[in-house]
Amino acid sequence: MEKAHSKHNWKSNTLPALVTVGPLTLILVLLVAIPLIYVVVMSFCSIDQYYNVEFKFTLDNYKRLISPDYMKIYGQSLLIALVTTLLCILIGYPFAYIIARTKSKKKRLLYMLVIIPFWTNSLIRIYGWRTFLGNNGWLNSILQTLHITNEPITFLYKQGTTVLGMVYCLLPFMIFPLYTALEKLDGSLLEASSDLGAKPLVTLREIIIPLTSGGIFSGSIMVFIPCLGYFFVSDILGGGNSDVIGNLIERQFQSGNNWPLGAALSIILIAVTLILVRIYKKMGGDMESLGV
Amino acid sequence: MKRQRKAKCKKGISIIFVTLVYLFLFLPISVVVVNSTNATTTKPYLSWKGFTFDWYIKLFENDELLGAFGNTMIIAIVSTILATAIGTLGAIGMYKYKFKGKGIIDALAYIPVVIPEIVLGISLLTIFAKVNIPRGMLTLILAHVTFSVPFVIFNVRARLAGYDNSIEEASMDLGANRIVTFFEITLPVLAPGIAGGALLAFTLSIDDIIISYFVYGQTKTYPLKVMESIKSGVAPDVNALSTLILIATIGLVILTQSGLFKKKKEN
Amino acid sequence: MRKNVKKKIVALFSAAALIASFCTGCGSKKENASGEEINVFVWTEYVSQEAIDAFEKESGITVNVSTFSSNEDMLSKLKSESEGTYDIVLPSDYMVEQMISQGMLEELKKDELTNLGNIGEAYLNQNYDPGNVYTVPYQGGVAAIAVNTSLVDIDITGYDDLFKPELKGKIVSLDDYRAVIGMTARSMGYSMNETDKEKLAEIEEKLLKLKENVALYDSDSPKSALISGDAAVGFVWSAEIALAMEENPNIKIVYPREGAYVFLDNWGIPKGSKHYEAAMKFIDFMLGKDAAKMNIEEFPYLTANEAALSAMGEDYCNNIAKNPPSEAIEAGEFVSNLDTDTLAIYDEMWTKLKK
Repeated sequence: MEKAHSKHNWKSNTLPALVTVGPLTLILVLLVAIPLIYVVVMSFCSIDQYYNVEFKFTLDNYKRLISPDYMKIYGQSLLIALVTTLLCILIGYPFAYIIARTKSKKKRLLYMLVIIPFWTNSLIRIYGWRTFLGNNGWLNSILQTLHITNEPITFLYKQGTTVLGMVYCLLPFMIFPLYTALEKLDGSLLEASSDLGAKPLVTLREIIIPLTSGGIFSGSIMVFIPCLGYFFVSDILGGGNSDVIGNLIERQFQSGNNWPLGAALSIILIAVTLILVRIYKKMGGDMESLGV
Repeated sequence: MKRQRKAKCKKGISIIFVTLVYLFLFLPISVVVVNSTNATTTKPYLSWKGFTFDWYIKLFENDELLGAFGNTMIIAIVSTILATAIGTLGAIGMYKYKFKGKGIIDALAYIPVVIPEIVLGISLLTIFAKVNIPRGMLTLILAHVTFSVPFVIFNVRARLAGYDNSIEEASMDLGANRIVTFFEITLPVLAPGIAGGALLAFTLSIDDIIISYFVYGQTKTYPLKVMESIKSGVAPDVNALSTLILIATIGLVILTQSGLFKKKKEN
Repeated sequence: MRKNVKKKIVALFSAAALIASFCTGCGSKKENASGEEINVFVWTEYVSQEAIDAFEKESGITVNVSTFSSNEDMLSKLKSESEGTYDIVLPSDYMVEQMISQGMLEELKKDELTNLGNIGEAYLNQNYDPGNVYTVPYQGGVAAIAVNTSLVDIDITGYDDLFKPELKGKIVSLDDYRAVIGMTARSMGYSMNETDKEKLAEIEEKLLKLKENVALYDSDSPKSALISGDAAVGFVWSAEIALAMEENPNIKIVYPREGAYVFLDNWGIPKGSKHYEAAMKFIDFMLGKDAAKMNIEEFPYLTANEAALSAMGEDYCNNIAKNPPSEAIEAGEFVSNLDTDTLAIYDEMWTKLKK
């Protein structure tokens, strides 16, 4: 077939290739490649006294990036992302296992029930948490009526609340790939394992987890990376006291008025993403499963 | 006996666990639904002033909110159609033809999926500002196409993996031209992948905040409107609209689950 | 099967399209006869929708409102959008100065502002815009302290008290770096516009003590946290306190003994506005007594509009949160423009505080 193609003239090969891939190439080059290159260029620029970007080469932005204060926020942000990812695995794995392996006819419905919350605006759901957890919120009212506590407990505006919001927003991204992986799992393998006398935990460790590791990896990537950028979650629930890297970038593009510094901060996120994707691929992860 | 009890116990724990996770997922939604019936009329709409359905009527007088929702729908539909067309064609082209730079395009297509949305948002903002394209509907649609195209590609590609080229050749041998073959043979085979990709693109578009936040100009989408109202306390009519959207989607799900899926099995 | 998928998708999109056309239909029914539209860019929770509706009705001009949370936000958005995007802005004092120096504002044809006479002499001819060539004053106020007396035992009389360890995790603060750093400087007897590096280092040291005390930063609607009880003390705009007081009688306003952060916001027209005449009409309408009254009724800031103030009842004028006493204003300090190097230091301090 390849040969047949090469024999064909321009019209039968190049033209259809151009028609099919052309628009895609245009979009990807103009709206992905060039903007990202421009961000890299901008990260080496400076600003004048009126906050305008000046195309004068400087390393100042990067010097500011490695200051201990910024380092602390990166650390905090990575920690929030890590805890969120672990919690998502801890909750998402058994959950996906149960609904993927249920013999119930409601299986599809159970799966749909995870997607439905997605179709309600995510900001308003996050705000719902704020109403629920507030000092005069639902949870405190319940606790006080049950006399579990007399004074309202402050749940809001802590790092833990930010983590809660992140887990809430990103849990489905962990569940979907795990569900796909677990559904493919061959039931007879599990039976064989238990027939041979393996304890459930051993079966889990030796068979189930290794066979679904692909799902765990892609789920982790889909949770960890967005977590670094979801500035609105920490804005609404963290009360601005548990910033992630996304907040730093957003601030420089809004009130900070320092786009080059914001661009340099974005480079950190790009670098982290590249490293993680590299590791993911090395461990045999499939890029396509991140998007389906 | 013992084993049975153990299994029962296990099942019980499973049910409790799954229920708890669903509770977690739906809890803030119940807050939204309840707050949509709060009779309070003073900002920040926090204290409970009694039950009312008034907000569901007042909602339809709130032009700004409805306008924002209309914008979201327009952007979602247009960007989904564009992304689906571009992504489907691209996936087919990449699958069928060999050309220089294919590897680069392939690599570029992964970027919007893995990169944090905020980076994509600011990179689009900087370039739009640089070439001076006024922010608004156009930039929003361009941005939404950009982040949803890869999802269409991946879905179509998954379908292409099992695609048999020979039917296409047979069609051409029978005298159909390329375009007829494309519409009559290629497209129907890929339909489920395309539909899946389109649905994903649509879902991503209607709920996008971070990327839209940087490129919206004057054209507010529904999520951006919510973001604005969060600043001063979410009014019950915003909650009411969210509740209506929720009911509509649940209705759609029930419809597809009951009606169309059964037919699918019969086929 | 394929047909079903197709059908479903077609059904989904046609339903969506239907809703979209319906909504845009609703959205555009407001479309006025003249068809002219202006884009107005103002602070959140600051300009009454009622007043805007009244303007639309009277003039036939459609008003699109966008909001910002700080002067810097506004500047950033204005710079990144193409020229002519906005027709009206509402910057504070120091930002007016900066925008004038960058040539970002159009001159106002003052003879078209028939209602300018409503503005009190004291508010005109400020040093940031001598002769009011580019802007006219709207409202102002104070960044004061709100205290929920049922939740706080200690005595709070000034900014310095906000740093007390007893207030750990109890404060809602403005999310505005010039205001928060300025407040810290005032609490130490320094100027809000300090540029001396050594003094700034001292200010930073004190500022970081605030970290423990602040539960959340919110410039847009800090009253929410005060009313809900999520915060017991607030370093917030005076009108926000006035509104919180109406919802919760335990909340009191305190004007800091050190002298407060004061501000005055001004109407202006950004360079390149495509609807200059309509924008002028808008400003003139807002200067009118009725519009000014609607604005302070909803957002009780210190109005520059003396005609409107005198039309308000005694209750309003005697409410010290709604109508800040002149001593509080006189003791206060305006923020002024600083050079970029100093602002970079301010920005670093702010990052440290919020990390």
